[in-house]
Amino acid sequence: MSAASEHLHTLMTQSLLAWRLIGSVQSTDDGAILVCCQSHTIRIEPAPPDLPFRWIVIIDGRTRAAISLVTVLRQVRAALDPGYATMRVRIAPFPLMPT
Amino acid sequence: MIEALVLTGFLGSGKTTLLAHVLRQPEFSRTAVIINEFGEIGLDHDLIETSEETVIELQTGCLCCKISNNLATTLHELLRRRDEGSVTPFTRVVIETSGLADPAPILQTLMTDAMIAGRIVLGGVVTTVDAVHGTGTLNREEISVKQVAVADRLVLTKTDLAGPIQFSLIRRLEDLNATAPVLSAQRGQIDPARLFESRIYDPLAKSLDIQSWLRVEAIPDGHSHQRHDVDTYAIVRRDPIRAVTLTLFLETLSEHYGAYLLRLKGIVNILESPDRPAVIHGVQHVFHPPSWLTRWPSDDHRSRMIFITRGIPRGWVEALLEALDAEIAAVSAQR
Repeated sequence: MSAASEHLHTLMTQSLLAWRLIGSVQSTDDGAILVCCQSHTIRIEPAPPDLPFRWIVIIDGRTRAAISLVTVLRQVRAALDPGYATMRVRIAPFPLMPT
Repeated sequence: MIEALVLTGFLGSGKTTLLAHVLRQPEFSRTAVIINEFGEIGLDHDLIETSEETVIELQTGCLCCKISNNLATTLHELLRRRDEGSVTPFTRVVIETSGLADPAPILQTLMTDAMIAGRIVLGGVVTTVDAVHGTGTLNREEISVKQVAVADRLVLTKTDLAGPIQFSLIRRLEDLNATAPVLSAQRGQIDPARLFESRIYDPLAKSLDIQSWLRVEAIPDGHSHQRHDVDTYAIVRRDPIRAVTLTLFLETLSEHYGAYLLRLKGIVNILESPDRPAVIHGVQHVFHPPSWLTRWPSDDHRSRMIFITRGIPRGWVEALLEALDAEIAAVSAQR
């Protein structure tokens, strides 16, 4: 399992705990992460290098692209947690250097 | 920059008595006071002896409920009158909240409102706790738990009436907010320097008394400290954090758990700025723009972030930070 997939595995496991959902998170032989929860099956796999995305998220057979882990997390939670009201906030980007 | 201090605490916990004492001290003579009472007839105003023109009482309901306009407008007006010379050129503002107020929106206004940005800086939050009834209040009143949780300083009042110090109450306060020192006052009397004068973060000098502000050592072994559903923990990282990682981290934290993030404060070692650490400060969904210190306050260059939350699991926070850091590192390496 790649380092990125390991981190994703840990994050998904912790997320289910945080959202108080009962489910499982497994790593597959081809480097994907499989989340099974509340009759949903979610497969998260690294996107092919020729795509401008980092992850492919397949929720109950429907495929979506995710540009980052932030998007993955949002998609997974929206699928598993019906009470989740997305609140899109923007934090002003950190200046790379003090001004 | 004018420092704004927020004085909060549940109904009858001794805020006004404490404030009246503080304002009698000569060093507080140039202090503007904003008092908010929940009700039609304000009394607290009459209990404060100070120059009339710098005391403004808000009687339009609970300050936290009308905060976006009311407090910001009041502060803006105060500044305007100060600039005109029609009020004492105050150097400090004390905002006494209603006993029923949620302090979070008040802090958010001080941190973000465009009308007052750049002129007023949040200096700290002091929360009074009645030594006689404090335990019962914390058991019954949810808002009092939040008032304690967001404090920089806690003041036990009416200790002269409570008899021996109630260690159970002090333990309770430490459980709710391990990072805030617990002081005590009898009939409102307390050394003001212990309350307000020890400016922990100086935005002009861009210096920080890191130990006083974060008090990471107050959290036993760096582990979670949980009671009720308020949870305090410290995340400490030796490796620098990329600026982009921190931005995404705070954004995701706010998006998923903003309402549950009572307070976050920290000093962060940013990879792109190794000599000048960033100071971060957030209340629920709102984060103050990061401030950059001119140098590290000590030889300890680790990032240290204190989380005071309602049930945001520490494991999730750590996993999120690690995962984002790894992803940003991978993307950076590909470029």
